[in-house]
Amino acid sequence: MSDIHWPVIVILLPLAGGVACFLWPRRSVLLGLLTALGVVACVAGLGWQVVEQGAQRYAVGGWGAPLGIDLYADGLSLLMLTVTAVVGLGISVYSSGYFERARYGQDRARHFWPVWMFLWTALNALFLSADIFNLYVTLELLGLAAVVLVALAGGADAVSGAMRYLLVSLLGSLFYLLGVALLYHSFGSVDIAILAERVEPSPAVWAAMGLMIAGLLLKTALFPLHFWLPSAHASAPAPVSALLSALVVKASFYILLRLWLEIFPFANAALAQLLGLLGAAAVFWGGFQALRQTRLKMLIAYSTVAQLGYLFLAFPLASITGWTGALYMLLSHAAAKTAMFMAAGNTLYFGGHDRIADLDRAVQRMPLTMTAFALAGISIMGLPPSGGFIAKWLLLEAAIRSGQWWWGGVLILGGLLSAAWVFKVVGYAFTRSEAPHEARAVPATMEWTALLMAVLAILLGLFAPWLLALLEIGSPFNRENAG
Amino acid sequence: MNWDAALPLLVLASSLLPGLVIFFLTEERVATRTTLNLAGAVLKLMLVGVMIWGVFHGAHYETRLPLLPGLDLLLRADSLSMLFVVLSSILWLVTTVYAVGYLEGSPNRSRFFGFFSLCVTATVGVALAGNLITFVLFYELLTLATYPLIVHRGTDEARRAGRTYLVYTIAGGTLLLVGTVWLYTLSGTLEFTARGFLSGLDATHHWSLVVIFVLLVAGLGVKAALIPLHGWLPQAMVAPAPVSALLHAVAVVKAGAFGIVRVVYDVYGMQFSASLGVTLPLAIVAAATIIYGSMRALFQDDLKRRLAFSTVSQVAYIVLGIAIAGPIAAVGGLVHLVHQGVMKITLFFCAGNLAETLGIHKVSEMNGVGRRMPWTMTAFTVGVFGMIGVPPLAGFISKWYLGLGALDVGQGWVIFILAGSSLLNAAYFLPILYAAWFKAPAGTWPAERSFGRRETAWALLAPPLVTAFLTLALGLLASAPFGLLQWARFITRLEYAP
Amino acid sequence: MNTVLSALLLILAPLLPLLLAFPALRSRLPRPCHIALLPALILLTVPPGVSIDLPWLLLGTGLGIDDGAGRLLLAMSVLIWALAASLLHTAKGQPADDRLTTCFLLTLAGNLGAILATDLVGFFTFSVLMGYGFYALLVAGGDEGARRAARVYLVFLILADLALFEALLIAAATAKDLGFESVRQAMAQSASPGLYLSMVLAGFALKAGVWPLHVWLLPAFRSSRPAVALLLGAVPVAIALLGLVRWLPLGEVSLPALGLVIQAMGVAAMLYAILAGAKRASLTRLPAYAAIFITGLFTTVLGMGLSDPEVWNRQGNLACFLIVSLGFGVAILVAANGWLQARCQYSALPEKQADDSSPWFERWSVAVTRWAAQMGTDTLPRLRAAWLANVDRCLRRIRIWQRTLDGSERFLQRWAYAVTLFLLLGIVVVFVGALSWI
Repeated sequence: MSDIHWPVIVILLPLAGGVACFLWPRRSVLLGLLTALGVVACVAGLGWQVVEQGAQRYAVGGWGAPLGIDLYADGLSLLMLTVTAVVGLGISVYSSGYFERARYGQDRARHFWPVWMFLWTALNALFLSADIFNLYVTLELLGLAAVVLVALAGGADAVSGAMRYLLVSLLGSLFYLLGVALLYHSFGSVDIAILAERVEPSPAVWAAMGLMIAGLLLKTALFPLHFWLPSAHASAPAPVSALLSALVVKASFYILLRLWLEIFPFANAALAQLLGLLGAAAVFWGGFQALRQTRLKMLIAYSTVAQLGYLFLAFPLASITGWTGALYMLLSHAAAKTAMFMAAGNTLYFGGHDRIADLDRAVQRMPLTMTAFALAGISIMGLPPSGGFIAKWLLLEAAIRSGQWWWGGVLILGGLLSAAWVFKVVGYAFTRSEAPHEARAVPATMEWTALLMAVLAILLGLFAPWLLALLEIGSPFNRENAG
Repeated sequence: MNWDAALPLLVLASSLLPGLVIFFLTEERVATRTTLNLAGAVLKLMLVGVMIWGVFHGAHYETRLPLLPGLDLLLRADSLSMLFVVLSSILWLVTTVYAVGYLEGSPNRSRFFGFFSLCVTATVGVALAGNLITFVLFYELLTLATYPLIVHRGTDEARRAGRTYLVYTIAGGTLLLVGTVWLYTLSGTLEFTARGFLSGLDATHHWSLVVIFVLLVAGLGVKAALIPLHGWLPQAMVAPAPVSALLHAVAVVKAGAFGIVRVVYDVYGMQFSASLGVTLPLAIVAAATIIYGSMRALFQDDLKRRLAFSTVSQVAYIVLGIAIAGPIAAVGGLVHLVHQGVMKITLFFCAGNLAETLGIHKVSEMNGVGRRMPWTMTAFTVGVFGMIGVPPLAGFISKWYLGLGALDVGQGWVIFILAGSSLLNAAYFLPILYAAWFKAPAGTWPAERSFGRRETAWALLAPPLVTAFLTLALGLLASAPFGLLQWARFITRLEYAP
Repeated sequence: MNTVLSALLLILAPLLPLLLAFPALRSRLPRPCHIALLPALILLTVPPGVSIDLPWLLLGTGLGIDDGAGRLLLAMSVLIWALAASLLHTAKGQPADDRLTTCFLLTLAGNLGAILATDLVGFFTFSVLMGYGFYALLVAGGDEGARRAARVYLVFLILADLALFEALLIAAATAKDLGFESVRQAMAQSASPGLYLSMVLAGFALKAGVWPLHVWLLPAFRSSRPAVALLLGAVPVAIALLGLVRWLPLGEVSLPALGLVIQAMGVAAMLYAILAGAKRASLTRLPAYAAIFITGLFTTVLGMGLSDPEVWNRQGNLACFLIVSLGFGVAILVAANGWLQARCQYSALPEKQADDSSPWFERWSVAVTRWAAQMGTDTLPRLRAAWLANVDRCLRRIRIWQRTLDGSERFLQRWAYAVTLFLLLGIVVVFVGALSWI
């Protein structure tokens, strides 16, 4: 079993699934679900391999690093792959209900499955890439697939959101590509490991670093570059919103993290502080804007802006605890936000609108959906027992240990802000609504998937040691001890 | 996993699992729901009985699950936690019976009983927590499980109360979390140890420790309703009576007070916190709370509101007993943890009976109610005299040890606080009794329901009578072997013995 | 066998009335009030000097009967209670009132228990029970005047209990155990018995209605029903005086100054009783003034005992006889009074209304409450208004902030690409700037 080329399979399987869905659109739901299950199994296989044998470097086609394409799997990428697999499975199941009988009709479903499979391929490839050019390619693929998915909802909103998303995406990738070119020009390689050895501070490196980080920040939607995110995420169909918030923005963060830790360990503290500051601003900005929203999906989208801000708090903290905290935040946010968007999708599906003020009539007849939203909210707020709590704990601990307690203050206030909007929504579950209204039954799969994803976010709080142990494998944090 | 490690988990599961199942029951399945509830409560009581037996004979029940690297989710049965576990499991059983009777025929009962069970699970978790992070975990869970109970009625008033509750408790929980993390970075461990685990720390940290103490106590003080953090409690009385009973006697308020006991005893250690100089300010805050709560209670016409302010005042006794920093006063504080619960739950049950049977919500409507509902008012009378501290009821024992302990360490001023509080208690409780027993009834009650020959449904009547009897028994048999007092002495001996 | 029997009797004496106080338990019994007295009656016949320890009860207490004061008092109590029980339901042809019987039995239990108690806590507990029971008896059986008297009595009772509670705490902190004898000795040896003594004196003086704290006695005698009036001397007053004898370290300490003050007060009380009694001579008032007089006499004896232990050791028994004579005297006077009233259709003089005004402290407390409420309604709104204005200002500021935030968010949305490019360029420039600086 150990000599199976899991990394390649993990990439090729969703690709094959996507092609199959494209070729046999009538069977696309079945094919998609099967592929999703297969990918989960393969990631499990890869995980087993990595746990048993340590970090894996795999040369595609047998060609070595400087020339050929290398794949690299350590604990970090394994973790990202696992999140993608689990969330992806959830989204696939949810979509099977959502698109099957959606008002969009068969047409949309036919488009959804192949694109989603391609997107999954891009994600897996991105997390396994060992060189910065491959990262660019997968990033571009990811962006394009995401844009298509956003446009899937149809309507002026969705199209304009998608257009904006497309342009931002291209612009971000372009900046990143410029950086890659500069590095390649200076050091003659795009392999991360090789670059890590060769790179030394020089004007070109600084410029490359600036370009790459700027591009990635744009794609990660860090404040104030977040403006494209709410409209894109809110106008997309529910499973797509979940996908974008949970996975796609995290991909560019992953790249940023890799670069920061391995290629630019010499980046100075001022830059880290700047990133932290932007993160803090995002936390507050997103929190406030979320509180101001009148539509549920917009609210959740702004909360994503806030949650992404947390991830950047780890940069100034620069300790293992801080990095693991940020990654755990990423993890639990992925699960919780998926659940939340699914829940919002359910209410939208049920009542035909997502105005918060009129929610009471819908949520009272969907206790499962409401529970999912509330449980996800607990994780987002960072209350125990949940993944969000663990993440918050780690980040707080890092903040206090490094003597920069004010980052802890940001975390705390951000948590209070999100508590405010979560309970603003949850409060509607307990009002007495009189007027019943037109409603469409929501398929049980959709409600249960939302609930399961939320429960997952809660359970993450109870199984932290195992996941954190995963991160230790070939950990970039240990090697460099971070910035 | 062997028996010793599984028992704490089983105690938790005995209310968690029925709660989760109840969530999925439909409204109509009353019998199933009631059976599940009662079976869970009885089972928990039995398990706790086994546990007490074991702890008394020196067994160590400890469940340890990894939560974070270096930090475990630790459930442990020690003598202090048993005090709280016993209280909550007994009163849970009683309150469940009461709630079944109280909510008969009202909507959303599955939701209610589900969260009710979760609430008790969280309380027992708070009691059994073996380290600070586990404590924080269940403490927050308690916040979340109680919110739906407070807003259960769904009225605007209830939602407002719920919002206030959340604002206070989430802010408090945050302070607690910050304090806990900070403490962890300093000490590297969070496990409760008799006499604390901090006294070995370097003297340069002492200022940080004082600040952390303030953070922790402020976070816990929100739930314990110490002034000026008590604002949510009087508002939260809009909840249904069983919830108020649970809130005031067992779950929320007690969790805060219990947490303060834990922090002072098992995190800082009595001697060490006294040497840090934090106990005297705590005692002063507690004393101020006692007097302030009573003063406010004087002017309330709403019965439950009056009881709520009385809780503010009474719970501070526990904190006072701990903060006086003497072994005898500590016994007083610890027994009051139980006594206050039993007495206050009696009063809330009775208030609920009046509201449910006759529609009485205000003190001014209570004229002559003693003739209509003699048993309820008898229980109420016992509870009231207990609160005032009249011998031979439970409240007397608490006040006795508090006063004696204060004299023992030379803090005579506490006696006057106790006397003033008793006086105020009498001033706001005795008029109620006078009106109920001796004034002529007004003629018709606001909203009377008939229960045949009985004054009210048996499920509503039995619980207050049981707890009133307990109030009497706890006072009369205070010195009996295996009594509560013995147990409290045992706990304080761990903390104070040389 | 005999000891078992007497122990049983000791426990039953207070327990039986307590049990019978439950309406359900006595509903089938003829004359429950008399039956409740039976154990105490039998107890009078057993040889003196029996006692039992009840270490598990309360804080560890006991019951016992000594041959001196206790026996005598018990005999007196049994007699008077039996008389009162006979009168309880006959007066004015009223139907038997269940509540009245319950209160009666509770008070009886408290009274007997207090006589039999062998330690401070037991005595305190039973006397509290007796006090509240007697209050209820006054309220339940009387008219408006009796209620007013009862209200005053209740306030005195609460204050007295507080004072005695403090005294108890001090005693417990000083003495090894709380038996009367050991407390007496510990207090005699204590360095500063002043607080204890003053608390005990104040507490029991409040309870006994010692002059000048007698305000409730007069209306109580006048307006409560005969059975209750009969008990007035033997129950609250006598037990309070007994408490003084039991709690004070008499015959052990010598406190001339305090003794002198107390003697003076006793003499003043006697003078007052004589003068007031002579001035408003009427048969109905006689028992009250007699009670005040005998209490004054007792106080004088007590003062003498406090100033010189020798006097107490020689003449101490006198105090108990005084108490007993007080109980009997008052009872006989009340009974005679009632008999005369019934016999001669004796009409009391028209009562002066001055006595019916509400007691002074109630007026005071009403005034204080009104003042506080007014302070509250006057000052609080101003504070509230100021605070609200502050909040308003804050809210306005928050709204401005919100508007700014919304505006900038909209700006970002509208000029998305321009802003993006600008920002990206800015970031790169920052980098290059940083680089050239390095």
